[in-house]
Amino acid sequence: MKILVLNCGSSSIKYQFFNMENEEVLAKGVVDKIGLNGSYLQNQKMDGDKVTLEGEILDHQTGIEYIIGVLISKKHGCIDSLDEIQAVGHRVVHGAEKFKESVRISNEVIEKLEECAELAPLHNPPNLKGIYAMKELHPDVLQVAVFDTAFHQTMEPHAFMYAIPYSLYAKYGIRRYGFHGTSHRYVSKRCEEILGKKDKDLRIISCHLGNGASVAAIRGGKSIDTSMGLTPVEGLIMGSRCGDMDLGALTFILDKEEIGLSAANVLINKHSGMLGISGISSDMRDIGLAAEKGHERAELALQMYQYRVKKYIGSYAAAMNGVDVIIFTGGIGENDIITRGEICKGLGYLGADLDVEKNEKLKAKEAIISKKDSKVKMIVIPTNEELVIARDTFEIKKW
Amino acid sequence: MVEKLEDYALGKRIRNTKGAIKKVGLIGGGSMGKEIAVEISKAGIDIILIDLTQNRIEEIKKLLNDLLDQRINRWGMTSGDKKMILSRIEFSTDFCDLENCNIVIECINTKKSVSSIEDRKDVFKNIEKCVSKDTVIASNASTILIADLAIVLEHPERAIGIHFISPTASVDIIEVNKCVITNKETSDLIEKFAKMIKKKIIHVTASPGNISTRLIIPLINEACELLMEGVGTVNDIDHTLVHGFGMQMGPFALADKIGLDKLIKWMEGLYNEFGDKKYKPSPILKRMVRAGLMGRYVGEGFYRYENGKRLLKTGSVINLGRESL
Repeated sequence: MKILVLNCGSSSIKYQFFNMENEEVLAKGVVDKIGLNGSYLQNQKMDGDKVTLEGEILDHQTGIEYIIGVLISKKHGCIDSLDEIQAVGHRVVHGAEKFKESVRISNEVIEKLEECAELAPLHNPPNLKGIYAMKELHPDVLQVAVFDTAFHQTMEPHAFMYAIPYSLYAKYGIRRYGFHGTSHRYVSKRCEEILGKKDKDLRIISCHLGNGASVAAIRGGKSIDTSMGLTPVEGLIMGSRCGDMDLGALTFILDKEEIGLSAANVLINKHSGMLGISGISSDMRDIGLAAEKGHERAELALQMYQYRVKKYIGSYAAAMNGVDVIIFTGGIGENDIITRGEICKGLGYLGADLDVEKNEKLKAKEAIISKKDSKVKMIVIPTNEELVIARDTFEIKKW
Repeated sequence: MVEKLEDYALGKRIRNTKGAIKKVGLIGGGSMGKEIAVEISKAGIDIILIDLTQNRIEEIKKLLNDLLDQRINRWGMTSGDKKMILSRIEFSTDFCDLENCNIVIECINTKKSVSSIEDRKDVFKNIEKCVSKDTVIASNASTILIADLAIVLEHPERAIGIHFISPTASVDIIEVNKCVITNKETSDLIEKFAKMIKKKIIHVTASPGNISTRLIIPLINEACELLMEGVGTVNDIDHTLVHGFGMQMGPFALADKIGLDKLIKWMEGLYNEFGDKKYKPSPILKRMVRAGLMGRYVGEGFYRYENGKRLLKTGSVINLGRESL
């Protein structure tokens, strides 16, 4: 069975096309700058064939039409007709409390998804556009929604509630939902496979460190807490998001800088985080290079980043009465040796002992980086959210 | 390897591209023209901005750049957003470049002291010469009836009033003013346009001044009366409305922001239309304009402005707030 996985953002669509018999990726690519000047589609086949197609892509539907057009083309394609796409899996960012697991998309589900859009006004509407477009193009194909929030729906109220008037939760659903659920789910499951144990009490702290970043506390395969909240701003310091901060400080800034809510939103989402502190870039690699050359604020940004992750590891170990495995994933977690090393320093009290040499040799590969006798295993696992989406879609299709 | 995307289009084209808004023309790059250009570009629509001379266009480019830098400094956008916005705005002095526009909005800002209606009529005629018959022709004028401009068009049914309110980045409404002959295609396209630029439409029955200008003008005039009678100072009057009624700015700060010369033109437009004294420009406004104190854009009006900061003037009303004239 062949499955198309779509991840529709505001002006881009990332896609992967799977053959589920062997979970092989047949083709993958991206449509970028939708609705803007200079839009293009880049497709890559696993035999090495790569192509960039330039032209006008006004909306998501056109973008998806071209993706299919390329996949069924003689020159760069890998199937003969549209009908060979037997199911489509969509990444959907926010499923609120309505969706606790992946779901087959029906008209009723679409209605519920539209209601969820209020909680994620930047992310859910483009996800929905992808769903509408596929419905138009290939009306009979099975579509499945896989949610970033679903994995964290196992959190208990004492972990997900904010200490604000309860009526606000009842009225608007204001609570912590958490994101990156598909990634945390994939790496925690993969970790069980690597360690060869399916322990109902296995305590994992999963650190997804990318441009967006979050930590999850996972016990027996279930998320019990995570650092992101109602929106992806809460928690760790990120590329350009501030993470945890005093809300009083924000109202103070609003008052002093005489700015409104919209500018405040841009401030905490786009001007803050590593970019805001360092003043250089939101990219960890640029900041690392600057710090090496003695840039003080780059150095400060790195220290703050590492400290925040370490604090979350400590608090989630407390939440679970200890920890058995710490996982690193995401662009930074998989590749940034120094950040990983610094975060792992001084975790001896937990029984976590990093093998410095192993850590320094490891980039973008799956491996254990703790010492053999370390009580807590530390492990790097490259994430694969698209594969999870394809697998969930496959499972639902099989029913 | 780079190839043409069109070669990979699916055989059956389901998407209906008719009615898509790809490009909007703007006539006039004054303060409103620039703000409107930014709002439209933010929505991913290409813009062609027409102004009178190449020199003027160079000046507009610089001011547009400054406007966006200011927003970045006020945390309203990132430098990436700025780059994206600027990449969609083209400039020209030639109306023929409006050729492929779906909508053209006239937002001229004449410095003449008389009504701009004749200039706007000329602009409407010039637009119509260069655009296709489906193009909607709109005016951002505040006190001129759209019907008075529509009559110069060969196809007046495509004329409509769209009034943006400054600061357009945070004001999420536009006033839309149809005349009796405006057709459904025109209003439908404007509905779609409003949705794309994320503005809510306030439908206004054809009346000069719409809602916004009709309400603001008597307020500013009455504030001038209070000032001239010595009831309160500029600061106290503004302060009362800001802190007493939660307005974003008081009538004097607002008058300075609009520009007193522009304000007088609005007032005269409404006074000529309705004949009501409440719209007649207050004498102090006229004195200030004659003295060149036109408001924020010249650095002085009811307040003084230095490096973007509003400063109080401490002189008497007789001296227009200065220590001596």
